[in-house]
Amino acid sequence: MNGLQSLSNDLAAAVERAGRAVFSVAGRPRLASTGVHWRPGLVVTADHTVHAEEEVTITGPDGRALTARVAGRDPTIDLAVLKVDAPGVPVADTADSEAVRVGHIVLALGAGPRASWGVVSSIGEGRRARGGATELLHLDLTLYPGFSGGPLVDVQGRVVGINTSGASRHWHLAIPASAVNRVVDELLRRGRIPRAYLGVSTQPVRLPEPLRQRLNLDQHTAVIVVEVQSGSPAAAAGMSIGDVIVALGASRITDPTDLKATLRPDRVGESITASVLRGGEPKELQVTVGERPRRG
Amino acid sequence: MGDVIDIADLAEQLRQVTVEVTDGGELLGSGLLWPQAFVVTNAHVVRRAEVNLRLVDGRLIRARVLARSVDADLALLGAAGTGLPSATPAEPDSVRVGSFVAAVGHPLGVRGALTTGIVCGVGPIDRSGRPWIQADLRLAPGNSGGPLADAAGRIVGLNSRAAGPLALAVPMGQVARFVQGSRV
Repeated sequence: MNGLQSLSNDLAAAVERAGRAVFSVAGRPRLASTGVHWRPGLVVTADHTVHAEEEVTITGPDGRALTARVAGRDPTIDLAVLKVDAPGVPVADTADSEAVRVGHIVLALGAGPRASWGVVSSIGEGRRARGGATELLHLDLTLYPGFSGGPLVDVQGRVVGINTSGASRHWHLAIPASAVNRVVDELLRRGRIPRAYLGVSTQPVRLPEPLRQRLNLDQHTAVIVVEVQSGSPAAAAGMSIGDVIVALGASRITDPTDLKATLRPDRVGESITASVLRGGEPKELQVTVGERPRRG
Repeated sequence: MGDVIDIADLAEQLRQVTVEVTDGGELLGSGLLWPQAFVVTNAHVVRRAEVNLRLVDGRLIRARVLARSVDADLALLGAAGTGLPSATPAEPDSVRVGSFVAAVGHPLGVRGALTTGIVCGVGPIDRSGRPWIQADLRLAPGNSGGPLADAAGRIVGLNSRAAGPLALAVPMGQVARFVQGSRV
């Protein structure tokens, strides 16, 4: 057997191995997405593919249809966790996503299983990945319709991330396994995934050149506060309308998306420094990240 | 680490069994040298009774369309006396999702172009229920009728069309059945 044939066999074996833990998720009209049995009784998928609020039908690799309950969501990284009783369906083997390197050959799986392949093209260099935000894997491969929420698999068939085409218009991305673990751990610890909350509405704003130079800022844009909800963490920290937020903790804030990406569920309760400009002068506010009040 | 991965050898092997289907200088598509002096291609490549085949060594031969099935999108041509080796078909249903595949053809007039990928899935893509080998591999007009081969150079399907970035090939089992049925 030559090298190409053995690579080919390895790839097919990787699909077989990872495919045993893959579900089809009927969470939206027409196009089913994909989910991965991550921990016993917990299936993860891409949040944007789950329109249902409570229950969703998922189909296992054995063709059995099961009813799953939406146990938690983290829209900041496009992840939803479903709770299901799925005896007989193995849990995915995950690998340390920190070991993934640019250039590694990876496979994306959809339910079926179906597969595409390519390489990791960059790690964490996207706009959503600065500072404290999650470092995403940028992929040079095709995510076919329905592949969102499915596993990104290494050549040994171990899951290194969850694929999503919903997080960026320009890239096919994967949420690294480490970030998925963080969300799932949070769910197991608290029984739910909290939504981090500051209590401000913001709009993008361009920073005037003289101001950038005077304050030695390397970013060109930031966000301006247009509303502060009363009783919110932002209000308690003394934030006011007109404040320009340039950074939150170690993360630069260049637009409202950065703000959303920084406010991960596990930061609820954390005290972070908001670097703001007020009347053209830098000011630091200490804000304790709160939890978004639940509906109903 | 394992052996060296040599795709150039595979490409050369496939070029030997791939022909160019033309008519009056117009490229119609690709075709595959099939055992016992036949060429198989897609029905949509040959819409006339006779066509020209350009072989890998540059020879042009005239070939008659012996059988054609629009439903299966397959056609069988007579191609005696080429003196060239013919393709080695893979065992039907031997295709595994994730396995390496290579296509050779003449996309957009580029002679003997190689593209590579993996098997994305096997089965229907719409309600027609018609099975395809779906490959995560780039095809362009001119690839039609050319081979889709596994890592050992065995033919697993006949490239038929592209659905966006997805390549669709007629599975080898259907090609073999079509050839069998046409020779009675």
